[in-house]
Amino acid sequence: MEPVNLFDLASRQADWLAVRQSAVAGNIANANTPGYTANDVEPFEKVLDRATVSLAATQSGHLGFGVSDAAFAVKPQDYDGAIMPSRNTVVLEDELMKAGEVRRSFELNTAIVKAFHSMMMMATKG
Amino acid sequence: MIGGIGAIHLSRPVGTSDGGTGLLSGGAAPAADASASFAEAVSQAASRTVDTLRNAEQVSIQALKGDADTRQVVDAVMSAQQALQAAVAIRDKIVSAYLDVSRMSI
Amino acid sequence: MDALTAALKVAASGLGAQSERLRVVSENLANAQSTGTAPGADPYRRKTISFVAELDRSSGGSLVEVNSIDRDPSPFPVEFQPGNEAADDRGYVKMPNVNVLVEMADMTEANRSYEANLQVIKQARDLISMTIDLMRNQ
Repeated sequence: MEPVNLFDLASRQADWLAVRQSAVAGNIANANTPGYTANDVEPFEKVLDRATVSLAATQSGHLGFGVSDAAFAVKPQDYDGAIMPSRNTVVLEDELMKAGEVRRSFELNTAIVKAFHSMMMMATKG
Repeated sequence: MIGGIGAIHLSRPVGTSDGGTGLLSGGAAPAADASASFAEAVSQAASRTVDTLRNAEQVSIQALKGDADTRQVVDAVMSAQQALQAAVAIRDKIVSAYLDVSRMSI
Repeated sequence: MDALTAALKVAASGLGAQSERLRVVSENLANAQSTGTAPGADPYRRKTISFVAELDRSSGGSLVEVNSIDRDPSPFPVEFQPGNEAADDRGYVKMPNVNVLVEMADMTEANRSYEANLQVIKQARDLISMTIDLMRNQ
């Protein structure tokens, strides 16, 4: 069963969003680097499915940031745009869109955590 | 590990004699008629609170997984906060009323 | 190092790289008319910059570094200016192989990339701030 505990899930999603943010940062920083292929993190649903299947060690070749049991795989993303002479596959607008998504999700995440935390505190206060 | 918000046991309707909080169970017998409707009202409020909280938790978990309407999440969570606030206020009033009663000299 | 701090580090490296690029562009633009001083001498040769991605061990992010600053090997255009001190015996002067329009386009691109990196820094900083804010206002 995937993490049903709300705070657990929120924590996991926050980690995932942070990894995605750093992947986007790497893409934007290397937007003019010859031969650089844009990376993205695997979808969050996949992470949740994987966490239920096994807690085995991560596969080799994955650049994951250290979450203890299952690091998130950062892989080159699919690219079907024009092949540039520089073989660089970063599309700046897409990266900025991704950054926007990360921000929105992160804001929702922290707002949810804050709300439920304050409800917890309220209920347990003498 | 902090459990889900639904783990807070407001599900025992206050005032019934199923071994719940026991706050009103002592005084329920002699004033049964007068307090029955009040106890009912309180227990209904409590179960509504639990439903609202459960719904808020469900919608939030959906949102964290990635697919929920933001407005729905906000509405659900705010309703839960309101319901919880009311429930806590009622609980506090009941507790202080009980303490007042227990301090009365006979 | 956690992922958000890594993002800051990566974006900061991007800012540095784009700043270098802008510096090279401004040198090219400033020297677009700089001919040699002796007859037949070579003028200013256009500079080019190339980047390379570096995997940072401690943070796990892909930083960007300046690989090298080279000279553009394309030939010098020639103009007829007999009065110029660098004119050869037929009156032709070799001019720098700098195309102002190309440099301006490069500068616009560099600005765009710089702005994008700056946005990443702002966002990463805000996300860290939001996380810390969870603890406040008890």
